[in-house]
Amino acid sequence: MAAGDSASHSPHSPAVRSLEKQFQEFRHQLDDSGSLRERIRSVAADIESAARVMHSSLLLIHQSRSIPEVFKKAKALIGVLIELYGKLAEIMGERPGQYYRYHGDWRSETQTVVSLLAFMHWLETESLLLHAEAEEKLGLKSLEFGLDIEDYLVGICFMSNDLPRYVVNQVTAGNYDCPRKVLKFLTDVHAAFRMLNLRNDFLRKKFDGMKYDLRRVEEVHYDVKIRGLTMKGNSTEKQGNGGRS
Amino acid sequence: MFKSSAIHRLCLMAPKPQRFRHFGETAPPGTATNKPRTLTTDATASAVDSDPNPMRNAFSKYASYLNDLVLFLSVLVNEKRERVVKASRDVTMNSKKVIFQVHRISKNNKEEVLEKAEKDLAAVVDQYISRLVKELQGTDFWKLRRAYSPGVQEYVEAATLCNFCKTGALLNLDQINASLRPLSDPSVEPLQINVLDYLLGLADLTGELMRLAIGRISDGELEFAQKICSFVREIHRELMLIAPKMDDASDMKTKMDVMLQSVMKIENACFSVHVRGSEYIPFLGSEDTNFSLLGVPEIE
Repeated sequence: MAAGDSASHSPHSPAVRSLEKQFQEFRHQLDDSGSLRERIRSVAADIESAARVMHSSLLLIHQSRSIPEVFKKAKALIGVLIELYGKLAEIMGERPGQYYRYHGDWRSETQTVVSLLAFMHWLETESLLLHAEAEEKLGLKSLEFGLDIEDYLVGICFMSNDLPRYVVNQVTAGNYDCPRKVLKFLTDVHAAFRMLNLRNDFLRKKFDGMKYDLRRVEEVHYDVKIRGLTMKGNSTEKQGNGGRS
Repeated sequence: MFKSSAIHRLCLMAPKPQRFRHFGETAPPGTATNKPRTLTTDATASAVDSDPNPMRNAFSKYASYLNDLVLFLSVLVNEKRERVVKASRDVTMNSKKVIFQVHRISKNNKEEVLEKAEKDLAAVVDQYISRLVKELQGTDFWKLRRAYSPGVQEYVEAATLCNFCKTGALLNLDQINASLRPLSDPSVEPLQINVLDYLLGLADLTGELMRLAIGRISDGELEFAQKICSFVREIHRELMLIAPKMDDASDMKTKMDVMLQSVMKIENACFSVHVRGSEYIPFLGSEDTNFSLLGVPEIE
């Protein structure tokens, strides 16, 4: 019995060798995924810094600069983002089916990117940037790599957070029709979100916050309308004048 | 001269052994904490009782000498740090006074208030910053940064606030450092405020500017408030790009959030006045005019 025991624990026994082999394999696998993660993180850091520059250039909209002027730099940065997402897609292409394993590493960056794109899209077209359009803008249309729906939705919520500030500054600059447009848009977006069945998670929290943005825009709209300031900007808003008398 | 510089150098190195001792104390309970202590007491006790080994005796002397030296040096360094902290606290207190002085500004007494604020600021430099500079002279600025950083930040805040009210422009780091250069001995490296403290001071400046803007609005100085608003926006926009690159990025991140809140507060106040201004203006003027007819053209 003692002899058998010592044999199974000697370093050359098959049991020990298979154990060693298994852990060696684990180490290789983890080293491998670790280095992959590092590559992903470096791309994600580049995305973050490009998004940051883009955000900062978009902030000029609050100083009531003209839209083409503000967009010039931001549009150039979209090109950079397309390239970076291409890189990310390439890296993930090496590991098919593991998108959600590494998803967390580019998640928050992507949400910010979506919010910026959606804001720009609204300024240009006064409509909501759809999920497919967002993918197209980032050059992900033809690729295996896609934009996660939840990331897209969180990005839209982030955009909604920026709208009250935009409205306030537009009115201060004398653009009295802006609150009406933003209010209509935000009401539609909010109504659309209410159709979703959300889990009790980050997205739900962000969606819950959206109603405060909506309320703030409503307040601004009310303030402007009750003073009859809108009637100058838009002929259909004449009832603002009648309501007061 | 040589002696003091030698002590100086030792001062810089002194905390290290101290830190080691801390390690021993905070190590896992039981074994690690007890062991060194029993060892040393054993060594000294046996050395005093009888010394079969003269080397041991000699070494116990070295040990106590080294212990004393470490203690002495750490006291020196701590004293210096205390003095620096104290000097920094005085800078903070008096810079705050300058900031309060600036807030006393109103429509009619602008020149007078700013003149006094500038005089106070100059006094802060002459009396308190100069003391800080003297304490830090010849030391590594980065080493004691934690001790003097709050004071320097507050001074940056006060100096930039004064300068903005006077000229409407941002006081650069180079300008501040140039103004501090005469304080230090030309033979040694002069005290230079580092980028981090300058930026942290700027971050705090926006809070003060917010208060100033709100005060100006309630005083009816809308143009000045507008000027503050775009200035603060500009600072926020620039700092946003820099913030994640700073050493203590998380600290700066909370400051950035506060800053955005300040910017939005000013914007909201400007907005309220702009929109509701149409109600106030006819009130001040003739009484029987239609609000919207008079109000709207006034705003344009």
